[in-house]
Amino acid sequence: MIINGVTIDETFAEAFPMKGTRLIITALNAKWAMISAQAFTGFATSVIACGCEAGIERELDESETPDGRPGVSILIFAMGGKSLAKQVETRSGQCVLTSPTSALFSGLDNPDKEIALGKNLRYFGDGFQISKMIDGKRYWRIPVMDGEFLTQENTGVHDSVGGGNFLVLAESQIQALEACEAAIIEMKKIPNVIMPFPGGVVRSGSKVGSKFKALNASTNDAFCPTLKGQTNSDLSPEVESVMEIVIDGLTKEDIDKAMRVGIQAVCDLGADNGIRRISAGNYGGKLGPFHFHLQEIMA
Amino acid sequence: MSALTFTLKMIPAQRIDCSPLTPDLLVDQSVSEIAAIELVVGNTTARVDSLFDISGSNKAEIKFLNSSDKLDFVGHNMISGTISIEGNVGAYLGLFLEGGQIEVNGNSGIYTACEMKLGQIKINGNAGEFVGGARPGYKNGMTGGIVIVTGNTGARTGDHMRRGMILIEGNAGDYCAARMISGTIAVLGNVGAHLGYGMKRGTVLLTQMPKQGISANFNDCGSHTLAFLPLLFNSFAKLESKFATTESFSRVQRYAGDLGGIGMGEILIKI
Repeated sequence: MIINGVTIDETFAEAFPMKGTRLIITALNAKWAMISAQAFTGFATSVIACGCEAGIERELDESETPDGRPGVSILIFAMGGKSLAKQVETRSGQCVLTSPTSALFSGLDNPDKEIALGKNLRYFGDGFQISKMIDGKRYWRIPVMDGEFLTQENTGVHDSVGGGNFLVLAESQIQALEACEAAIIEMKKIPNVIMPFPGGVVRSGSKVGSKFKALNASTNDAFCPTLKGQTNSDLSPEVESVMEIVIDGLTKEDIDKAMRVGIQAVCDLGADNGIRRISAGNYGGKLGPFHFHLQEIMA
Repeated sequence: MSALTFTLKMIPAQRIDCSPLTPDLLVDQSVSEIAAIELVVGNTTARVDSLFDISGSNKAEIKFLNSSDKLDFVGHNMISGTISIEGNVGAYLGLFLEGGQIEVNGNSGIYTACEMKLGQIKINGNAGEFVGGARPGYKNGMTGGIVIVTGNTGARTGDHMRRGMILIEGNAGDYCAARMISGTIAVLGNVGAHLGYGMKRGTVLLTQMPKQGISANFNDCGSHTLAFLPLLFNSFAKLESKFATTESFSRVQRYAGDLGGIGMGEILIKI
């Protein structure tokens, strides 16, 4: 398949099941809601070493938040419910509870499966914390030095998908980066997904395994342009730079949509702007059960 | 199918225990079986059809017409359905209520919503003493649900209240929130003397400073903007009550007490 001079490889991206939740952080103004959200989602690019993958879904205006203040919606994913709960609790405690004027709410209801949000943070109140049941949901009011930190007791957990991806192969580094930036702009318009890497783009895509026993992932040498002559390269002579966009989403369909608009944005730049190919991280079925076939998505 | 309706034939001399007449208990009974139910009346019993004219057949929706404050225990242990009452009603309305809705177009007697667990009770009139309280000798009052009183409530509203919400559009009597354990009481009108006496935890939300001020066993914690109040007002929006149209506020003066006890209760007054 070729779109605007860009070859879409006949391959698939391989993704794996994760547990995810959505949180809503509000604050006195949009600036402080974003600061808190950025702190919460910091160091959360990959479960390989961060324990979770998290990102900002979108900004929310006053009409969209539980307390009528500006807010930010974030998504966080981990490999299991317990690890998700741990990450949510530590990040909430260190990055949201601490952030001036903030409040923290669940953005995803699932009465059948919940994890603690403010349930344990309340003990920071040292006995002065106050519980309030409002509309069947429990909230905690924790006294803090700038007033009160309001947080919902629990948040719902959703069976999710992590690791959807595609690779942008370009004639130069700048062209690869600009294409990825264009893709991220479009993909951020899709709900229920995040692109957890810095700016949504990852330049160090990995393969499963390593020659070093201690590592379970290592550089994707087949797509490293400087190794064209040293390894079983997947790159043609014209390709000088490859960048990857990784997508986590609440459902496979959400990732499908995000990949479609992202790849389309890259293809819109086309061969005239140095974009040669779109490929994907295919690990031969070793990584996970969710397969995103590029040509089917773009059909 | 029209509501199952009990029209009181005459004002009884003795009090009537209406606890058998709830949607859950009547659902499997025919009208003739319902007519034959023996209700406790004073120190004797009487058939339902000797006290009420019965009409309608929808047992999920029960009406009491021509009601009297001699009708006690209406909605006792009710789990689902609705009960509406035209006229006054007696003591222990909605005792142990676990679900469903009760609406009174009149006044209710003492111990309305006593030890209620869930559901909603709306009194379009005044309610007597101990709204949402615990039975004499018991330590936990209502543990959930919403009580709305469009008029005034008597003394000791929310006595021993454990959870849930009491919304009073008029005035609350003396000792409001006395011995309150938790939950929320909101009053749009005035409150009587000894507000929050023996209060352990919980919130009393007022739109105005009580005429007699706040008692000495509550300490002023200053003026604050509290983020939970907009959520609380949002939850009022679906209610048929003045609270639904009351302008939301989050700026309050906070008083903590009763300091004669653990002092974790709060009185919030709009500023």
